[in-house]
Amino acid sequence: MSEKSTGTKGSTKADRRAFLKFAGLGGVAGGAALVTGAPAEAAITEDDTTGAGYRETDHVRTFYKSARF
Amino acid sequence: MQNHNLAVTTEPAEAEALRAQLYRLLARLLARPADEALLAMLQGLSGDDSPLGRGIGDLADQARAMSLGAAREEYQELFIGVGRGELVPYGSYYLTGFLNEKPLARLRSDMVPLGIARSEDSRDPEDHAGALMEMMAGLIDGSFGQIQPLAVQKDFFRKHVGSWAGHFFADLETNRSARLYRPVGTIGRQFMAIEESGFDM
Repeated sequence: MSEKSTGTKGSTKADRRAFLKFAGLGGVAGGAALVTGAPAEAAITEDDTTGAGYRETDHVRTFYKSARF
Repeated sequence: MQNHNLAVTTEPAEAEALRAQLYRLLARLLARPADEALLAMLQGLSGDDSPLGRGIGDLADQARAMSLGAAREEYQELFIGVGRGELVPYGSYYLTGFLNEKPLARLRSDMVPLGIARSEDSRDPEDHAGALMEMMAGLIDGSFGQIQPLAVQKDFFRKHVGSWAGHFFADLETNRSARLYRPVGTIGRQFMAIEESGFDM
């Protein structure tokens, strides 16, 4: 479905856009570099070789099983 | 801005692109510790005088005030710890008290028809707050194959995000170990409320 569909929802879309901008989304500047469209396939959690990171190793799984978080 | 194939080539309207941008910012902040590039980018952010905008400004201020080492330590303490961090940012945990529960199973079913898959590099459960932020971004800007209509985004948000993410961000905002990530909590909490209201318009 196109975001630009017209009809009875026309004024509602304008209201929505005005709301989003008024709520502060329009004022956020500088973050555009993040919107690269990289898909989730490109690693939600990357291997972080310089830090501990989260590794679901066997011992972690056992810990969670025993701790029942 | 977008360098992927789109089944539907219509770009999202500007306000929708801003939503995707904010989701991606939150996704990056939550998914893994900061690096030099992230801190540098955060230092350049600015917001307006809305509560959300002030959170953005605070985040930029904190990024300027912190060393990379301190930022990484804070992430470690908040989200990783030993066995668990101060916070456990998973939908299943917030909704049931345990990890890897029905909320995760429901999420996995709903990811399939939307073309969302977990990276092979990752063994983290998909109902991590950062992963969900990335999923919302992709539904909005078409990263998973096509831009999804608002009705689909709303349905996904209501089922998998809105029920708990606001509470998580509020917990982050008030956690005493949070300095850089405190305004991340503010921004996330405000944004989730905006999303919740915005879908009804």
